[in-house]
Amino acid sequence: MRMLRRDPMLEEIAKALSEIEVKALKALKSGETLSEEDIAKKADIPIDSVRRALAWLKEKGLATVEERELKQYRLTEKGMLALKEGLPEERLLLALKELGGRASIAELIKHCGLNKQEFDAAFGKARRYNLIVFNENKELELTGLEKDFLERNQEKELLKKVQDGSAIDEEGFAFADIKKRGLIEKRKKIVMYAKINDNGLKALSIATKHRTRLYNLAIQVKPLTMGKKQPYARFLDEVRKKLIAMGFREMKTPLIVQEFYNFDVLFQPQNHAAREWTSTFRLRYPKEGVLPSKRIVNAVKAAHEHGANTGSKGWRYSWSIDMAKRLMPTAHGTAHSARQLVEGIEVPGKYFAIARCFRPDTVDKTHHMEFNQLEGIIAADLSFKHLLGTLKEFAEEIAGAKKVKFYPDYYPFTEPSVQLSAKHDELGWIEFGGAGLFRPEMLRPLGIECNVLAWGLGIDRLAMFKLGIDDMRELFSSNLDWLREHAIVRL
Amino acid sequence: MPTIEISKADLEKLLGKKLTNNELKERAVLFVKGEIEAIAGDYVKIELKDTNRPDLLSAEGIARELKGFYGIELGLPKFKVYKSRVKVSVDPKLKNIRPKGAYAIAKRVHVTEHLLEQMIQLQEKICETFGRKRREIAIGIFDYDKVKGNLRYYAADPSEEFVPLGFNEKLSLSEILERHPKGIEYRHLIDSHSKYPLLVDSQNEVLSMPPIINSEYSGKVTTETENLFIDVTGFNQETINIALDIICAALHDRKARIESVTVDYGNKKIVTPILGSQEIVVEHALIENIFGEKVSKDSIKRFAKMKRMDCSFVKNAAVVRYPSYRADVLHAIDIVEDLLIARDYNAIEPEPVRIPTKGYELAERALIDAVREACIGLQLQEVLTFTLTSKEKQQAKMLLPELRFVELENPLSSEYCVFRQSIVPELLDFLSKNKHCAYPQKIFEVGRVVRPKLSEETRVEEKDVLCVAITHKDANFNEIKACLDAICKAMDWHYEMVRAEHAAFKKGLCAYIRLGSKRGIIGEISEKVLANFNLKVPVAVLELEL
Repeated sequence: MRMLRRDPMLEEIAKALSEIEVKALKALKSGETLSEEDIAKKADIPIDSVRRALAWLKEKGLATVEERELKQYRLTEKGMLALKEGLPEERLLLALKELGGRASIAELIKHCGLNKQEFDAAFGKARRYNLIVFNENKELELTGLEKDFLERNQEKELLKKVQDGSAIDEEGFAFADIKKRGLIEKRKKIVMYAKINDNGLKALSIATKHRTRLYNLAIQVKPLTMGKKQPYARFLDEVRKKLIAMGFREMKTPLIVQEFYNFDVLFQPQNHAAREWTSTFRLRYPKEGVLPSKRIVNAVKAAHEHGANTGSKGWRYSWSIDMAKRLMPTAHGTAHSARQLVEGIEVPGKYFAIARCFRPDTVDKTHHMEFNQLEGIIAADLSFKHLLGTLKEFAEEIAGAKKVKFYPDYYPFTEPSVQLSAKHDELGWIEFGGAGLFRPEMLRPLGIECNVLAWGLGIDRLAMFKLGIDDMRELFSSNLDWLREHAIVRL
Repeated sequence: MPTIEISKADLEKLLGKKLTNNELKERAVLFVKGEIEAIAGDYVKIELKDTNRPDLLSAEGIARELKGFYGIELGLPKFKVYKSRVKVSVDPKLKNIRPKGAYAIAKRVHVTEHLLEQMIQLQEKICETFGRKRREIAIGIFDYDKVKGNLRYYAADPSEEFVPLGFNEKLSLSEILERHPKGIEYRHLIDSHSKYPLLVDSQNEVLSMPPIINSEYSGKVTTETENLFIDVTGFNQETINIALDIICAALHDRKARIESVTVDYGNKKIVTPILGSQEIVVEHALIENIFGEKVSKDSIKRFAKMKRMDCSFVKNAAVVRYPSYRADVLHAIDIVEDLLIARDYNAIEPEPVRIPTKGYELAERALIDAVREACIGLQLQEVLTFTLTSKEKQQAKMLLPELRFVELENPLSSEYCVFRQSIVPELLDFLSKNKHCAYPQKIFEVGRVVRPKLSEETRVEEKDVLCVAITHKDANFNEIKACLDAICKAMDWHYEMVRAEHAAFKKGLCAYIRLGSKRGIIGEISEKVLANFNLKVPVAVLELEL
């Protein structure tokens, strides 16, 4: 008596069998050794699936599988064409038949559509078999033997057999002929043979009882490579989306600007400490750019020298146009706001820029010569209260802050000026940015009569937090593994 | 931004009020636009943000301002200046060298360590920031007991001699510029002239060689000193008057008796220090416009007094008087900010902006993002590299001939001294840092390249380009071309290719891409260039202007 023992391993394997594995096992149920082709026919599944199923069954120990090498022939491209359109001699004979059984060589060539090489071979063969002759008019004429030839064309029969994969006689002339003519070629074929074993039978019986296949959850699937945005770039994209959703228009952000836009338009005096070369980069080449219209340049000059028509004392010095022309890498995003104001704005209007900025800072964990600033302006009939309201909204929207604090601050181009601190859940209070109302000495010379709220937010600290890094340099990470592994960043 | 160090006990003594550290940090310093950088025991380090308020660069100045905040003293600070008979004659020959002077005498000064520290610091910080590193303002403080009679400020011959502070031998003025540390540091301010500024007393005893160095004889001030003479020189009378006022106000707060000095320019005489006030008209409407709320005249007066100013109304305009040492008041708006600070930023209810405007991104952004999307669809990993880079990477390693780069005048390192003209070398450099990572490696960047172009307004042309690099053992032209085809198909672009030779690419495996007016390059990187980047595995790249 056979002991019936539950084998939990086998049971798990059986329940996790795929559909094709079960079909293959069913085909093998009788216990005989079958080839993959037999199984494919019996189970009615494609041969590739059978091969895959057999490989798995072998691995799981449910069948003995062996591979045998078979020699086989298959049709070449030429062979397939010959089978489809007829062998050249066939085409030649049929063409001659269509021409009424006789024709000149030239006519025949034209009508049969064979190329020179094919025609010569077909012509030679037809002559050898005495299927055509030249008559007295030097025309070709069918002999009558062609009928039999066309009906029992051994070569064609053989090609059909090769195509079907049936057994062929490799001894005859016909075989030698089609091989020589390159209509068939030899190929090696590995054929799998399988025989079910006891475990296979048990597994089959379990599997047939369990209709639902259970996926093998522990399976280690191959990791996929995927293309992803650079995490910091994606963070900036998200910030940009937020700003656009809040109704802001993006400004242009050239890397190189005239000092005019970086400083002069912003009413920053030319002897200001921030304009010294230890604070900003300057260009060795090219050195000087072009300034906008004389009207604008003179208005800015007047504001610096004596306050122009703004009621200001101005900075009371002699303003130099040459200094204003000097080129520099953008030192702060406000340079782009300055240009926007010079080029013209809509009132009311909201503008922003994510600006690549450059400063001669020694590179360390919290400084880099190249970094990004989020810069924006709102030109409208608004007050300092609205500036605070805007800053609060940014702190909430971008940093997810619940609380904000405002500190009096100083920027050469804003008055009043304010610094924003935001309370972040995990970082605590962070300095989030500076803001203010642009000074009248800056706006009136450009013909702007309304208030302009301006702000620059330091988003790199937040980005570092979102990216889980504590080194600013890593925002531009050169570590491919890190980039590949990093989860997609969301605001 | 200037940073100063003070003693908390000294500040409290000047203010007449004790402050907890928290009170100091969270309330008091905000009122003077300061930020505490460090507190350790009695030592406090404060960063002062307003570079146009040199009067706040000492414990005295901060205390004076805070008295208003705490209601200890309100309105314009009152200073008493006594007249002295002392006169300084200024030589007109100083016109182009250093023409202006402002002077004062401070008597019965109780010179403590704190006072000495604060005076030295105040003097240094004013000269450094507001005085643009002594160019606009140079300050000297002297032991007045060693100064005799009237003084003379004149253009002296470089051969004249005196013993400079810290030395024990006489040096000529030109020797001082060559040998004295301060001479070496500041000589550029005067050495283009044939004569140098010199301040002497009636006995021809030298006090100072502005803006370089004081004399050892009278320039040495200690806790033993009782009476001080103050000398400020520069180019703009208004500017140096402010500096002198700030020093005198600080000494006044320390109970010194301030005496004025007559400055005789020959054609004109003035008396310094001023220690007075200036007037500015601030429209009520402007105040309410910036505040964004109704502000009563009484509130405005109260805010002004807290900020050490006086205020009265003439119809709808506030006439505000502020101390003459306030260097920051250019426009009525500067007063409005003071009023707002007195109002307290955090007591103002923020009001959201509800202006319906349509937001949109730059036109080129849509294109850039579409290309990035296509690249990500091709399973390329996006990377970001810096736009500042080295010539070595951009040119030498790429085997290119001398190129004209957009180049920094003052780079901090050769690693970051030019703007990139191509992203290809940057991606090769990126790959060279990731040789240990799994292959195939397929990366891309969409970024800015910068080239000189004289027809542009900034003399440079900035373009956004796409750069793709693929590396694995079989990476080749076919694969990168398939990439280009896929991207172009996705973008509905129809490009042409022209066979090209390029030093960085393998022969016969390089082509230029033409896409309308846009240009690009595609191919396999040559073995030599790979070696220059320390790479062994084949790399195929494409770069295309967007």
